Amino acid sequence: MGMTRKTLRELYDYRNMIYMLVRKDLRGRYKGSALGFLWTFLNPLLQLAVYTLVFSTVMRAGIPNYYLFLFVALIPWLAMANSVNGGATCILSQQNLVTKIHFPRQVLPIAAVTTSFVNMLLCMIVVLVVCAFGVGLDLAILWYLIPTMLIEYILAMGLAFLVSCLTVYFRDLEHIIGIFVMAWQFLSPVMYGIDMVPERVYHIFMLNPMTAVILSYRDILFYKTAPHLNTMLLALGMGIFFLVVGWFVFAKLERHFAEEL
Amino acid sequence: METMKRETATENQDIAISVRDITKSFKVYYDKGVSLKDKLLFRGRGRYENHQVLRGVSFDVKRGEAIGLIGQNGCGKSTTLKMLTQIMYPDSGTITMKGRVSALIELGAGFHPDMSGRENIYTNAAIFGLTRKEVDACVEEIIAFSELGEYIDNPVRTYSSGMYMRLAFSVAINVNADILLVDEILAVGDAAFQAKCFNKMREIKAEGTTIVIVSHSLGQIEQMCERSYWIDKGVVRKSGIPREVHAEYLAFMGEKSAENRAETEAAEKNAAQGGKDDKRWGSREAVMESVEMLDEQGRATNCFHSGDAATVRIRYKAAGKLSDVVVGLAVYRSDQTYMFGTNTMIDHLGYAVMEGEGLVELHMQDLALISGQYTLDLAFHKPDGFAYDFWREACTLQIISDKEESGAVSLKHEWTFH
Repeated sequence: MGMTRKTLRELYDYRNMIYMLVRKDLRGRYKGSALGFLWTFLNPLLQLAVYTLVFSTVMRAGIPNYYLFLFVALIPWLAMANSVNGGATCILSQQNLVTKIHFPRQVLPIAAVTTSFVNMLLCMIVVLVVCAFGVGLDLAILWYLIPTMLIEYILAMGLAFLVSCLTVYFRDLEHIIGIFVMAWQFLSPVMYGIDMVPERVYHIFMLNPMTAVILSYRDILFYKTAPHLNTMLLALGMGIFFLVVGWFVFAKLERHFAEEL
Repeated sequence: METMKRETATENQDIAISVRDITKSFKVYYDKGVSLKDKLLFRGRGRYENHQVLRGVSFDVKRGEAIGLIGQNGCGKSTTLKMLTQIMYPDSGTITMKGRVSALIELGAGFHPDMSGRENIYTNAAIFGLTRKEVDACVEEIIAFSELGEYIDNPVRTYSSGMYMRLAFSVAINVNADILLVDEILAVGDAAFQAKCFNKMREIKAEGTTIVIVSHSLGQIEQMCERSYWIDKGVVRKSGIPREVHAEYLAFMGEKSAENRAETEAAEKNAAQGGKDDKRWGSREAVMESVEMLDEQGRATNCFHSGDAATVRIRYKAAGKLSDVVVGLAVYRSDQTYMFGTNTMIDHLGYAVMEGEGLVELHMQDLALISGQYTLDLAFHKPDGFAYDFWREACTLQIISDKEESGAVSLKHEWTFH
């Protein structure tokens, strides 16, 4: 327990490093491109255009405003996917730092997840604008976004801690995780509604913490209703579980990073 | 309980680094599989040997004190430093450190080539754990120290390697650390910048920063440190005042290299006996049977300190009676620079008479050479140059020194100030 407190205090001291890493990643991502930072907004808009084209004219889903139905879930989903994929490689890609300089290693997964979430927050501006024109916004409901994002952040952080330290020891995990994330997307109600899920697997579906998170986003932004408290609490519980497990596994494996890399 | 705590606190107040009995071993894999497939399928294959690098090292460093860690490559001194940096952790034993640690180990790790020097200062300082405010406070000082001037806003990729190192060093040394760990840094930049770094280190040491230096440059350690720790095969072999520790260390190293050389020389001799020796020629009417060098106590050695007295002893055998032998000696540096030459004729001794067996000894009071490797050529010849026995590289000579003098010779000197 003393170790945890020490690490937390040290992480607080290194908050500037987290900030610098996030900034470097966000700014560096579109460096050299003509439109630069504008891509942060253009990217989700273009994705939206593709999905609209496919699902409104080719594969008709039968859900009114399907493009929005998908969009409000897709952006949060991408934040999770990027967190896990980025988390898996964050230690390996910074190995010249890890083997040479001391800093709390937790900084790296925290920065990876935070980068994905800052990116999501920026995309959310686009989402809100599109929603306002599409189905309108309910300002009384909108504040639910804050706890929902927080829960997703906790969950993403826990998973990033886990995968980031495990990939150092098992390099194959990096590729396995790519496939896993893709499968996870199809097993979460991103492209379809929960009502399309057969009754007998419904409970198994609800065990997926991302189900609850995605449903909450959709309730708030698309259906303009408050999310279900139970599903949110379940997601929070699982998020905390992963965070605690991830934290301690990371703390245990972190000590030998320099030797493994 | 409370008072006890306070007592120990005051007692240890002056100790900045406390290392207690640390050990460390590395796994050396014969065939390392890092992928999951390898780990699952070839479980038996991950054979490795445990290589014990540290076998129980302990020391304390007081606040504001500087110590040096010396030893051969692979002795464990760099591993010790890595553990002080907290990149690695000991298998057993404890390390306690007080305050912010800055390491001049891998300078410029984390520099981004596309970002400007100034931006890199911010990122690099953040990696050392500085908040933005703290960086703002010292950024001008860092830029001034680096002497980069207007180049500071150019991308780092356009820098020369000297500029790059200057910037990296400036960041690392200006972050106001309580403990500074240094690994062979003073090989950075030109002589003027090195001197500046050295002065800066003295300055921050005077301000109370604790310094640990790992270096092969014993002279630098002597100038900076109060104590030296000689680490050999994973344990502290000797510690104390740098000059004393270093003298013993150098003597040990000299003996060791003499041993190595004796082996190779013996091997060479064996090989040479079969064929013709192009390093030796002459009529062999008088031959050198053996050549050795002796120190002041008369012990045979090839390793001397700069300024030591030395004797070259030649055992010879003459076929008949020769009354016109000139004995000569030449000293060459390892890069074949001719350092010194003399013979009995130059020294106004005339000719030596040789009959049967005998000894020739040349006494030198002061080997005024700087540290390095030298070889001696020895010759018996007639006044007109006709060689009885000319032996190139008859023996080797290793000069060691605790000073880093430069040039060709070590002139005897002292300083006075009026």
